[in-house]
Amino acid sequence: MTLNICHLYPDLMDTYGDKGNTVTFQKRCRWRGIDVKVANISVGQPLSNFDFDFYFFGGGQDKAQTIVGIDLQKKKRHLETAVNNGAVLLSICGGYQLLQKYFKTKTGEIIKGIGLFDAFTVGSDERMIQNLLVEINSELEQDIKDSYQTTDYRLSTTNLIGFENHSGKTYLGKNVQPLGRVIKGAGNSGEDKTEGAVYKNAFGCYLHGSLLPKNPHFADYLIVKSLERRYGKVKLKPLNDEIEWLAHKSAIDRTRSQT
Amino acid sequence: MDFKLFLATLAGKILAFVIGVFGGGATAAPGLYALKIDPNFVSKLSKQIPQGSIIISGTNGKTTTARLTYDILSIKYQVIHNRQGSNLLRGIASTMITNCSIFGKLKFDLALWEVDEATLPEAINNVFPKTIVLLNLFRDQLDRYGEVDSTRVKWQKALRTLPKNTTLILNCDDPGISILEKSFAGKKIFFGVSDSKVRLPAVATVADVKHCLVCAAGLIFTAQLSAHLGHYRCPSCNFKRPIPSISATNIIFKPDFSTSISLNLGNQTSTVNYPLPGLYNIYNVLAASATALNYGIDLATVIEKIKKFSTAFGRFQKTTINDRELLTFLIKNPAGANEVLRIISNLSKVNLLIILNDKIADGRDVSWIWDTDWEILKNKVDNVFISGIRRFDMALRLKYAGFKLSKNNVYKEVNYSILNALQKLSTKDTLIILPTYTALLDVQKTLSRAGEKVTKWQKQ
Repeated sequence: MTLNICHLYPDLMDTYGDKGNTVTFQKRCRWRGIDVKVANISVGQPLSNFDFDFYFFGGGQDKAQTIVGIDLQKKKRHLETAVNNGAVLLSICGGYQLLQKYFKTKTGEIIKGIGLFDAFTVGSDERMIQNLLVEINSELEQDIKDSYQTTDYRLSTTNLIGFENHSGKTYLGKNVQPLGRVIKGAGNSGEDKTEGAVYKNAFGCYLHGSLLPKNPHFADYLIVKSLERRYGKVKLKPLNDEIEWLAHKSAIDRTRSQT
Repeated sequence: MDFKLFLATLAGKILAFVIGVFGGGATAAPGLYALKIDPNFVSKLSKQIPQGSIIISGTNGKTTTARLTYDILSIKYQVIHNRQGSNLLRGIASTMITNCSIFGKLKFDLALWEVDEATLPEAINNVFPKTIVLLNLFRDQLDRYGEVDSTRVKWQKALRTLPKNTTLILNCDDPGISILEKSFAGKKIFFGVSDSKVRLPAVATVADVKHCLVCAAGLIFTAQLSAHLGHYRCPSCNFKRPIPSISATNIIFKPDFSTSISLNLGNQTSTVNYPLPGLYNIYNVLAASATALNYGIDLATVIEKIKKFSTAFGRFQKTTINDRELLTFLIKNPAGANEVLRIISNLSKVNLLIILNDKIADGRDVSWIWDTDWEILKNKVDNVFISGIRRFDMALRLKYAGFKLSKNNVYKEVNYSILNALQKLSTKDTLIILPTYTALLDVQKTLSRAGEKVTKWQKQ
């Protein structure tokens, strides 16, 4: 089996250590004998020549985000079609914001997004910078439990742990589900206890850390969904995730100990 | 008499005395209280210094550069310098309290201030610098400083307020630093590395400047030396690397962690050997030299001082315990850590102890370890040990970098991790310790306890 991964704008949206997500996705595939091909697609490079199974889109600096925002308009139709046809996408922070309808800066300037998520973000003076613990959307919970395969750990939680660092406040519309509910931290806006967004197999969130290494259940869920489109239902070979869960748990302990 | 100033000085001195009695290092609290009583405490005292102040700032290298600059300038001047570490305004105030009379009088020729990047604008307003040395800007503790771009914008605003008789000393290899010359009309001195290649293994770059800061076109790098440091030009406007008036060429990194460079100043070239490793220290040496030369110290004297300099405590330090050599390098952000990994990867075999903490001074967010290229060490490492508050994040990072590691080598206690790691090594092996900032203080405690000749950081 082979999966094709697209890392969107890795040269520009690479500020917050999100690279660990593509590393983790690839390694967890290869450890199971699934072949992975990664393409880096940036400004001026069309998506239309490819059929990707998984897209990753990370966070960057404001200036880079403006450059990317303009180029992304040219990739809008392709990304919409891909996601509507079941391709999997994970976007974080800046990438998540650009996939929404728009970002309104503190000075009132509008940066256009591509509206894949029915949501928008408004710049604020509040910096939401802390560990972020999220209880996953109940509709996803069972699916994640079914996808995840490990040799040594009985999964009792599908919570996600990461680190948020944003001042933009995201508000969700009707045609999108939150990724989860905030247990500790701010999440989308710091106001409504929601975090992230889900539209079909496209996910957006504010979880750096990197997210996937210490949330192996979510990593495997994304892999299963990516395989499903091409190969139908696939049961993953279980991996030894002892260190992953130790990191997951110790990050949660740290989060709970901080006020 | 300025009663407010007197009260601030008195309160600061009493507090420093009390902290001293209890064995602490009074690097911040006395200054903090003095500034509460008299917010102009630093600016009032700064006006008493006849030769004015020098500020050194940047993400990486400011402590080492400031200490080397101090060593050189002390030949000619009585210099006041915040050597004890706190590089916020309160640290400057604390240093002044320690060194002034009870009436708030300072007797120094010159002030040398190491200044935190976020504090630079505030420091400029308070110490009236005659010279500002800016080393680099890299992503660093994004939870504290925010983005590199936003720090630079704050600097640009502050630099525009400077009087024209100020001198800026700038790293010409960092496009995010050289661009600052456009925010200032007075004298500028550039320093840089003019070799187009360095003999260190390549790392996956973590460049924070890839586009022209004038017109946003993609920059062309004819040499990329470290992260976004190198020789660059913009293909669509006239922004390019300025030609440095002081530069390093013929760089040789030696196996004993010393370095040899040709130091070029106008038509003069001298070969210098000094006991510090890595590319980043070349920039520190260049910045300190440029500053000292600008204050009338001759090149021969500068070189003499560089040769004898040993780096700021813990940033690179050798110790020996039971016939085993320990090398400690501070790591705190991806650009700095990558340079350390490049140096280490020149060794044929590596025993590594990594200590990752996430306290405020380390940065609460440990994501940066995923931007650091640990992969370059995976085939060099014999034994790897891990400790610190976020040890399992570090273990996980190494697992995904392809290291073979045992859970038995992950330790909660820093002290225990050092002693155990040493026990597992054979004699004549070297243990390389890579602590984050707060972990470094724990490492120092263990090394002191082990009875080695380690100077206490308070005494530096």
